[in-house]
Amino acid sequence: MPLRKDIKKVMIIGSGPIVIGQACEFDYSGVQACKALMDLGLEVVLLNSNPATIMTDPETVTKVYIEPLKFDYVKKILEIEKPCALISTLGGQTALNLCIELEKKKVLSDLGVQLLGANVKVIESVEDRDQFVKLLSKIGAKYAPGVLVKNFKQALKEVESIGFPVILRPNYTLGGSGGGIAYSREDFKIKLMEALLESPTSEVLIEKSLIGWKEFELEVMRDQRGTCVVVCSIENVDPCGVHTGDSITVAPQITLSDRAYQDMREEAIQIIQKVGLETGGANIQFAVHPKTGERRVIEVNPRVSRSSALASKATGFPIAKISALLAVGFTLDEITNDITGATPSCYEPALDYIVTKIPRFDFEKYPGSDDILSTQMQSVGEVMAIGRTFKESFQKALISLEQSEPEVSYSFDEKKLTYPNSERIYYIFEAFRRGYTVEALYHLTNIDPWFLEQWEEIVNLEKKLMSSSLDVNLIHQAKRLGFSDKKLAEIFNKSEKEIYNYRYRKGILPAFYKVDTCAGEFESQTPYYYSTYWGKKELNFSSKKKILLIIGSGPNRIGQGIEFDYSCVRGIKELKRQGYKVALINSNPETVSTDYDTSDLLFFEPVNLECVREVLNFIRPHQTIVQLGGQTPIRLAKSLYKEPYKIAGSSVQSIDRAEDRARFAKLCSHLGFKTPRSALAFDSPSALKQAEFISYPLILRPSYVLGGRRMEIVRNEQELKIYFKKHSQVFSKKRPCFMDEYLDSFLEVDVDLVRGKDWSIVGGILEHIEATGVHSGDSMGVLPPQRLKKEICKKIEQLSLDLAQELKILGFLNLQLAVSHDEIYMLEANPRSSRSVPFISKAVGIPLVDLAVKAIMGEKKSQVQLKEWRPEKIVCVKGVIFPFKKIKKSDSILGPEMKSIGEVMGRDKSYSLALTKALISSDFQFPEKGEIFLSLKEKDKIFLLPHIQDLVKSGYTLSGTRGTADFLNTHGLRCLTVKKVIEGRPHCVDRILSGKIVVVFNTTSENSSIKASFSIRRSCIDHNIPCLTEAHAIQAFIITLIQKKKNKIEVFPLDLYDI
Amino acid sequence: MESGSLILETGEFFKGLLLNKKTQAGELVFNTSHSGYEEIATDPSYYNQMMVMAAPLQGNYSSKRRNWQSDKIWIKAFICLEIQKSERDKKWLKTLEEHKIPVLSHVDTRQLVFYLRKYGSLYGAVVPSGDQTKALDLIKKAKEIRDQDWTQFVCVKEVKTLEGKKKKGLNLALIDFGFKKNILKELLKRVSSLQIFPSNSSFEMVKKFNPSAIVLSNGPGDPKNVLKGTKLVKRLLGRYPIFGICMGHQILARALGANTYKLKFGHRGSNHPIQDALLNRIYMSAQNHGYAVNPESLTKEVQVSQINLNDKTVAGIFSKKYKCLSVQFHPENGPGPTEALALFDYFFENLVKGK
Repeated sequence: MPLRKDIKKVMIIGSGPIVIGQACEFDYSGVQACKALMDLGLEVVLLNSNPATIMTDPETVTKVYIEPLKFDYVKKILEIEKPCALISTLGGQTALNLCIELEKKKVLSDLGVQLLGANVKVIESVEDRDQFVKLLSKIGAKYAPGVLVKNFKQALKEVESIGFPVILRPNYTLGGSGGGIAYSREDFKIKLMEALLESPTSEVLIEKSLIGWKEFELEVMRDQRGTCVVVCSIENVDPCGVHTGDSITVAPQITLSDRAYQDMREEAIQIIQKVGLETGGANIQFAVHPKTGERRVIEVNPRVSRSSALASKATGFPIAKISALLAVGFTLDEITNDITGATPSCYEPALDYIVTKIPRFDFEKYPGSDDILSTQMQSVGEVMAIGRTFKESFQKALISLEQSEPEVSYSFDEKKLTYPNSERIYYIFEAFRRGYTVEALYHLTNIDPWFLEQWEEIVNLEKKLMSSSLDVNLIHQAKRLGFSDKKLAEIFNKSEKEIYNYRYRKGILPAFYKVDTCAGEFESQTPYYYSTYWGKKELNFSSKKKILLIIGSGPNRIGQGIEFDYSCVRGIKELKRQGYKVALINSNPETVSTDYDTSDLLFFEPVNLECVREVLNFIRPHQTIVQLGGQTPIRLAKSLYKEPYKIAGSSVQSIDRAEDRARFAKLCSHLGFKTPRSALAFDSPSALKQAEFISYPLILRPSYVLGGRRMEIVRNEQELKIYFKKHSQVFSKKRPCFMDEYLDSFLEVDVDLVRGKDWSIVGGILEHIEATGVHSGDSMGVLPPQRLKKEICKKIEQLSLDLAQELKILGFLNLQLAVSHDEIYMLEANPRSSRSVPFISKAVGIPLVDLAVKAIMGEKKSQVQLKEWRPEKIVCVKGVIFPFKKIKKSDSILGPEMKSIGEVMGRDKSYSLALTKALISSDFQFPEKGEIFLSLKEKDKIFLLPHIQDLVKSGYTLSGTRGTADFLNTHGLRCLTVKKVIEGRPHCVDRILSGKIVVVFNTTSENSSIKASFSIRRSCIDHNIPCLTEAHAIQAFIITLIQKKKNKIEVFPLDLYDI
Repeated sequence: MESGSLILETGEFFKGLLLNKKTQAGELVFNTSHSGYEEIATDPSYYNQMMVMAAPLQGNYSSKRRNWQSDKIWIKAFICLEIQKSERDKKWLKTLEEHKIPVLSHVDTRQLVFYLRKYGSLYGAVVPSGDQTKALDLIKKAKEIRDQDWTQFVCVKEVKTLEGKKKKGLNLALIDFGFKKNILKELLKRVSSLQIFPSNSSFEMVKKFNPSAIVLSNGPGDPKNVLKGTKLVKRLLGRYPIFGICMGHQILARALGANTYKLKFGHRGSNHPIQDALLNRIYMSAQNHGYAVNPESLTKEVQVSQINLNDKTVAGIFSKKYKCLSVQFHPENGPGPTEALALFDYFFENLVKGK
């Protein structure tokens, strides 16, 4: 059946901010679906609170709303827009939960909106334990025995009958949130509390643990006629017990026989037919016993998921696009396979390559956290790599992570093999180096021997290489096993360039093969490439159009995420408009940029020097663009420019000048900016000396970092010594420590501007809500600025443009500045796109990336029509999302090290209204009454006093630590004194745990008091109590708390970019 | 391990590692299934053919005799990118060696698949490197039997009687053109007694058994050379309900007066979409065939009941008048998806019981 005639206007709900377990893969799937629906001529309305997404670009759909993903707001939009249908399955668990709520509360039926995709019945059939078990029994599928419990007492009783270890799965949560494995009764009690708290229905499934079983996932699609295809089979290298998002996975499955696989496939299809999913994709997870081959169903997700994004990239089958088309009436046989251009979409992709996904973890960014993987997801990003064999694919994936290998040879510890952790793979390698056998490692890790053997082969070759000299056959073999030039350079004690030259002399070159969905059976139309050393190098690429290469941003990590993919994708579109053929290299399967039809040529490859070079040699682009993908390509630019490749836009000299701190400081003072006093130090004694000249407090950080890694504020000699003791290995003469004057309590702003040859434009000034000291990525922000004076804004703009001119920028320049008493300090300049670019573009309505691309490509003022872009009728507030909840034991205090993972935008007519939306979207709880606990540092007390008075007027009660309580009491506010933790019990944490406190305000400065108050913050995280740690953020929160009570809702669609 | 080559009749060659020193020649075909190497290698339909596996990893889940589709490995060579050969598990490699099947690994199979796609199925030989004369000799020999009836080389030599799983039920005649064990397994579940007949059996032999229905199995080679088999089916037509699979389908079509033709490079894999008008659904099928039925040559009494959606070729025919049904693909699976198993039930319920 073709398009349903009764559907003219469709609404799609996105997944909101990036969080652990729900990241930019939903932007990818949403964009794909939007594109498909728009191509059909439908009107599409989109709601998402995440401004960093491509889907919320005004051109993506008919109308975009950046509003909170909460019931009241969706309802309001539905009332205004009156769409014919709402698609529930494209925005992750968030959208699905919202759609269920809308259906249950009869909003949809009242408004006559059809729910497409999964409805309440389908969701309940897979998420309600009783129903699910019944369904599985009907088709004879087996599942892990378990009980659904609703309270503590019942759980303790039931767990005995199941036996330890058990898995706890809170109902209706995302990414295994609140779940875990309990090995003992004591362990169980702790985890149970959390799990009960985390489930919105207070239901927890206690399941017999399948730890050690092999884990598989199948991605299934179904159309309204009942046609089912299994798009991809995925095997988890890590056995059951690790969240699939945190597992290393491969596709297609490797260790099952055809018979075992077909049985699983058949069962998956039966389940999909039974759950009542009319159309769309679903993901089914299975466990298989490693010895007996018994199979258990783990869970079913009846929607587009993280795995379906991976499956799409792994196979070339666009699951989200097809899901959208199926939802509006098409059947699989009616949709052509885009990749072959000839065959229909009712087929199962055949792969003639192996795909490996490895998650990326950033535990080191969260001091105190434990690097232990479990059933609750903790990874912040992932990479995918394609190779002809597992070994090639796997090593390429490791390279794609862009993380340096941990030094396992010194710190080898067998214990690290016995439980899943982010570095385990390196310990396995080291174990093989030390002569462990496959059998021994199987006993330690439970990882299928097949995978262990593959790794052993890699190590065996490494050993062989170590004891030989450069040899053609050996190097060829090593390349086929996925060894990088860099690794080979280390082994042979040569430079990477020498290995590269050797390879080229000997003709050891990669071939670029296509991902074609059919293992070569049909001709493919879509140039989606991966490299392999298992093939013959084809002829060099030829193209009538000029080719440009954009270097993508690699895996999502703290500090470099979806915002850079936004710039890449938008950049590709603009360059296509200009008539170029655009190539992209990236390794991140979650992104829109790696969709097969975003660029003209897609290279799914590690974003490192070697792979970029090979792509450059293959396609010989006219120029390469390094400004869009964040710090990864900027770093590469420095190595590339020495070679015969042209970097478009700002020269490498400009980039260097902005990043070389000494030269940069000189330039700034020449222009009239102040800069924080700074110095370099190599060790503790030299630092102590320099500190005298700069004066405390200081910010310390290693040179060349992104996201503020290892950055700390020290306030005195003592703290400085501790810092150097902690990071002594990091610093050397070659890699010094930057010491900067810390600008305490300054107002901080981000500026993004674009400069062309003879023109320039400031995108906007994003004023931070928190004062300096909180990393810019972690601060909330507002545009237009609320506190900066107009003339200071003007001055900032002028100075910024002067700086761009002086640096000879062509393209983007991102600046971080601080202001105090009308004096402007320059903190940092980044000659590239930035995290704030999508936010500013959307807030101001300027297509900044398009303009930057024009500037990069050298367009003149006469070619660029610059208008006065200053609508700013609407105030936009940026809210931030932190993963503390998922990363156990981490401290939520904000500082110079970036910790946030996602952002939201609140748009409204005034600052307080926009702020309210931003905080609602950030998932803060807003208790309407109750006790607020305060522990404030000295100088915040006066600043916050009037706001605390407002709180009391609104009916909240107060408690606080002695100093704070005394202060409030003397100012006429009744505040109960509660003991600090060090003062003995009952103390404030006891009070928090007892449930008496609804909000915590906790500001501290000295490192020792930060440590002392950790348990306050952590107990809030664990019990979902809002905890604010910075004075201005507290101010913003209080405004919202009071504003929210007025409960007036207005929504505003985004204006089209004015170009 | 020594280097070896696959030399094609066109003179083109592909290098690899010859893991055992065997040399052989045959027609080259490629299969895109991710798994199922045992089933494929033991399927008699691959008689005189050399198997190029498009999936890069082979032998990765060991080998179990119960997955075999016959008692022999029929392929002439196993050509792949990588084959499992660790100490813990190299059973599949050893099995191939024991059956004297040349194994050529480290081959750029993707380029080879492209080549076969471009030039159609070709003959070739696997030899130790450089031995081109030997290769061409072998190819010449392998091609000698091209115009013969290959089913005679693979089918049972005499009638065999088996007991079915049903206590009371049908007698079924399986005409063996090179049957796969999964077909037998599916049939035995549904009947009380079954006789397997060689492909060149006479009508009288079959009639003597008094079957309730006839099943025509899969098998190797060009159907137009299977003269005796076709003659037999012509006589069975109208007298018994008939279900044909793969070669059985082609023979049935020819018996009904239709033509068959050689596909450029055939269909071999586990992901071919079928539109089935009888079951009224679309599903994935396992396929292994180099010939197809020409739809224009079908008479009015015969309808095309299944279509391969990839290239719209005939995937099945049905005739109400003759109570017969046949499919080009493999509903019995092994390897491949299981959805089409429903066709066995369809046959027994609608064509046999309704007799």
